[in-house]
Amino acid sequence: MVRSRSLSPAARRVLAALVQAGTTGRHGYDLCREAEIKSGTLYPLLIRLEAQGYLVADWQASEVPGRPPRHVYRLTTAGCRLADAHAAAGAGGEVLPAGRLA
Amino acid sequence: MSAVSHWLFALVRRLLPPSLRPWGDAAFREAGAITRPGEALRFSLGCLFWAVGEAIRYRLSNSDREGEETMGDGRTLGPRGAAVLCGAGATALGLAYMAAGGAPDRHLMINAGALAFGLVALGILTLADRRGHLPAGPTNLLLGLVLLAVSLWGVSVGGVTRWVALGPLIIQPAMMFVPLMAVLFARSRDTLSLAGIALAALALALQPDRGMAGALATGLTVVALIRPDRQTLAGAAAALAGFAAAMAQADPSPAMPFVDQILYSAFAVHPLAGLAVVLGAALLVLPALAARRLSGPAQSACIAFGAVWAGLVLAAALGNYPTPLVGYGGSAIVGYLLSLVVFPRRAAGPARASVEAVSEPEGDGPLLSVGHP
Repeated sequence: MVRSRSLSPAARRVLAALVQAGTTGRHGYDLCREAEIKSGTLYPLLIRLEAQGYLVADWQASEVPGRPPRHVYRLTTAGCRLADAHAAAGAGGEVLPAGRLA
Repeated sequence: MSAVSHWLFALVRRLLPPSLRPWGDAAFREAGAITRPGEALRFSLGCLFWAVGEAIRYRLSNSDREGEETMGDGRTLGPRGAAVLCGAGATALGLAYMAAGGAPDRHLMINAGALAFGLVALGILTLADRRGHLPAGPTNLLLGLVLLAVSLWGVSVGGVTRWVALGPLIIQPAMMFVPLMAVLFARSRDTLSLAGIALAALALALQPDRGMAGALATGLTVVALIRPDRQTLAGAAAALAGFAAAMAQADPSPAMPFVDQILYSAFAVHPLAGLAVVLGAALLVLPALAARRLSGPAQSACIAFGAVWAGLVLAAALGNYPTPLVGYGGSAIVGYLLSLVVFPRRAAGPARASVEAVSEPEGDGPLLSVGHP
């Protein structure tokens, strides 16, 4: 079931980072750095977003030979709409860190 | 990635519910891609805290039926999980009592922090035990030496030497290690383990610490009664000698608020606060009931656990000794959780029990029947 309550600041920053990534997607560690959150916060958030259909997670082969594949995260259409809605709400009232939104 | 990060992620994988393990694998791969060691370690630690939270939520909610079936036993909580809940419940009841009694916030934070630390430490210890890195002999000998060092060079208050200062924290190592030593000795008795027990008994006599010495003597005497062999009798004799020596010395420690005598004083705060303390103290020994469904070394360890913690509660009822978990003090919380390492993760059916009985490493003496199915 989709929750109707507003997203946490961390969730908004992760969404913003994923919007910036577009169809390329982002790896978990990159999201930690870009959204400035700890891994212990990121993964519960990603799991929730994926369960709610806002996010897809795929294994992607590494560009470096010999390295194992990594998860890459991309927003779904519903995820993009959610990010847009919260970006608009943030622009109207809440101040988000500069440069976080496309 | 460093060996520590590898180890942390092995623990993360163990803690996560089956349905979330692919996410744990994904996080592990991310940590492997981080080139700076400090960053990788921070990332790994963050994932460990996430996994601990998920494990607690999973155990409490019993919502992931698919995962339970994957685990193959069809039960939500094994003896260890139930015992962890008892410890967490006792700590929570203690926090409620202290909050009602107007204890300083620092007291509450230390007990809550000790619970979190103890859970992580139990996870690490369990992993070490599963991989055979927690042998009773060397572990008990090392801990016995640590306790002796504490009694010789530790922090003294009023002629009693039983604490160690770790920055702003004062810990009581005997409270953290003696219950673990007793259960390890009960599970696997050898000469090194016995030597560790003798050192601990000597250390408790030197400190002196009547409460811990009495608890150790209670635990080992009960083990000697149910499995009377040379090692258990020698261990019980050493513990009883240490207890007698501690009792022969004056213990001038005054009663500390929220630590000692709270089984009585909590009722002065509020009848419900008193009830919380009594209920919390009862919860501490409840996990020992699992011994009815166990056999062999696991059963001995479980009985020793119950006897040691019953001894500590009895000491708290009789004198100025800390009431473990429900009173202020993080060492007892950590010690309680560490001593749960000997509890089986899953409930034992008849087949599992018979395997444990056959695989017991040393020849055990006769065991009193305690209703094994």
